[in-house]
Amino acid sequence: MAEYYPKGYKIPLANGSYAEIIQKLGEGGQGVVYRVAIGGKEYALKWYHKGAVQNPKKFYQNLENNVNKGAPTKAFLWPLYLTQPVDGSFGYIMELRPKNYREFSDFLLAKVHFQSLSSAVNAALNITNGFRELHRNGFSYQDLNDGNFFIDPTNGDVLICDNDNVAPYGESLGIAGKARYMAPEVVRNLKRPDVMTDRFSLAVVLFRLLFLDHPLEGKRVVEAPCLTEELELKYYGKDPIFIYDPTDDSNRPVRGVHSNAIKFWPLYPQFIQNKFITALSKDAMTGKTTRMTDNDWQLAFTRLRDTIITCPCGSETFINVAGDANCVNCGKKIPKPPVLNCHNHKYGLALFPGVKMYRCHIDKDSDDFTQVIGEVERNPKNPAMWGLRNVSDIVWNVETLDGTLKPIAKGQIAPITAIKAIHFPNSIGIIEYSK
Amino acid sequence: MAGIYENAVKVARRTMTLFFLVDTSGSMDGSKIGTLNSAVEEVIPEIYKLSSDNADAAIKIAVLEFSNGARWITPAPMDAADFRWNHLNADGLTDFGEMCKMLNEKLSRKAFMSDVAGSFAPAIFLLSDGEPTDEYQKELGRLKENNWFKKAIKVAVAIGDDANKDVLAEFTGNKEAVITVHTPEALTKMIRFVSVTASQIGSKSSGVGKGGVDQATNKQNDTIEAIKTTVAEDPVGGVEIANTPVSSENQEDWDW
Repeated sequence: MAEYYPKGYKIPLANGSYAEIIQKLGEGGQGVVYRVAIGGKEYALKWYHKGAVQNPKKFYQNLENNVNKGAPTKAFLWPLYLTQPVDGSFGYIMELRPKNYREFSDFLLAKVHFQSLSSAVNAALNITNGFRELHRNGFSYQDLNDGNFFIDPTNGDVLICDNDNVAPYGESLGIAGKARYMAPEVVRNLKRPDVMTDRFSLAVVLFRLLFLDHPLEGKRVVEAPCLTEELELKYYGKDPIFIYDPTDDSNRPVRGVHSNAIKFWPLYPQFIQNKFITALSKDAMTGKTTRMTDNDWQLAFTRLRDTIITCPCGSETFINVAGDANCVNCGKKIPKPPVLNCHNHKYGLALFPGVKMYRCHIDKDSDDFTQVIGEVERNPKNPAMWGLRNVSDIVWNVETLDGTLKPIAKGQIAPITAIKAIHFPNSIGIIEYSK
Repeated sequence: MAGIYENAVKVARRTMTLFFLVDTSGSMDGSKIGTLNSAVEEVIPEIYKLSSDNADAAIKIAVLEFSNGARWITPAPMDAADFRWNHLNADGLTDFGEMCKMLNEKLSRKAFMSDVAGSFAPAIFLLSDGEPTDEYQKELGRLKENNWFKKAIKVAVAIGDDANKDVLAEFTGNKEAVITVHTPEALTKMIRFVSVTASQIGSKSSGVGKGGVDQATNKQNDTIEAIKTTVAEDPVGGVEIANTPVSSENQEDWDW
């Protein structure tokens, strides 16, 4: 087995400086991660085990290319510098992972929990956006699995790691991956990983993130006493069945075994369930129909976040933009709050205290779900009165119930009961009240 | 107020049992059994870590020793977290057939392989320095008909030159899955390496992208490949795999 570099050992970098080993942080199948210092600042060094990479020259060149191109978004723990090839191997430098981020597998193993519904949904949104931007930059990830993410349980911020396998479209680094996350055609060895197979893996990752079980592992997989390599080929490759496939109930989750799926799946609104049903339908899995795009997912999770409110019981829950809902925690009825219908029902934002309005809601050309534009607040003197505060530099024109237009500038609040519609520079948001 | 995810439970995991089958016959007495005891004891925390960080499967440990007869040290497979290695003593004969018989009885869904969430095929690690002293053929033949055994990752370490490598190869079904060690250092290293590698490969969803279309991978072969690669890349003195030459030239190492 590998010998480790001692503290103080210096590894030369391709750019002429060097990384000094501080300590070993962890080890995986492919290599070892060290804490290192470069010019007084601390980083992480991933150092490959000798022989761990199939085609080292190509792999090294690909890393070099990725370093030069730079990270698609700040969610990526991207290779920053390469080492020189020394001692028969090589490695790359990336930022250290901050302590508030936990491994995805820790969530699956219930070592850590999402603090709220919105932190889980934000994590889904952040992972989706990361892959959308990665794909838009001309890369595919190739080896998506539960080891690739670090997540902050308090807010759902995500760091995507192991970006060394990322390669431009059409390039294959000979990355094989694991059956449970790979697209059926990769498991069957019909195809090498690419953007389309990433999409399948993304659906699996998103399912596991929200429902904390595996989308293809239900009754029939549990009934197999020994999961042999041949059965894995069947269940993940030749004949995969989604546990909630409405056309085939042969692989439903099993009580006492798949407790998380049984608990969390029914809590999510139908439109989200339908996205998974589509993404993991037999036709989508076998490639007869196209797979859900990253954009579809991003829109779905942005819409989902629009419906999260805090119930009087203190728990977050989803409201139903079409009618009443029940709190996912206490079960009490939550009447439909006023909803801001944006871009002709593309988004429906629940106007409930604490809910935030983002750039994508007011700008029909934007899908920015991160820049906060407005926020619903309670009137401190009369908590039953709610208002929408403008926190952006854009002036809104609020159309009141009597038809007059009133400008709302940064910092100002419009009482929700007085709003009929809000005119933004390139779109209108219309308030819908429950009947 | 806690969120609903506070109620999430640990995801359903399969079980992968790592079997140690240990020859505790009289010839193992002294530094062989001493080295083996220390090496296994030291690798257990690593197995525990592999298990606790693993979202695919939990790893359990079962130990069967054989000398005059055979005895399960673990009445059932134990979580790596709860398992403590009790140092074994060496004395008596090498009842290899009895060991095969007792292993065969437990490789069943009615016995050791009974996890409700299912299992991966086990990893079976045999350590021996000698030659069967009983009529083992019939029991080994029966064991080889056991489906759990057929699908298991099987690796044997032959300790020294007196071990009957043909019997070990018969057991593992593959000459290349028999590793001969000639020094205490080599034994220590290979115990660690085989335990960790077989556990890693055995407890994970199988790798894809090798072989032909619709061809299942083979974890036993993957394990042997990993062992060969490591021994080739990072030579350990006194280790011999199938036909590869012994990599130690130090004559003092050849005491075993």
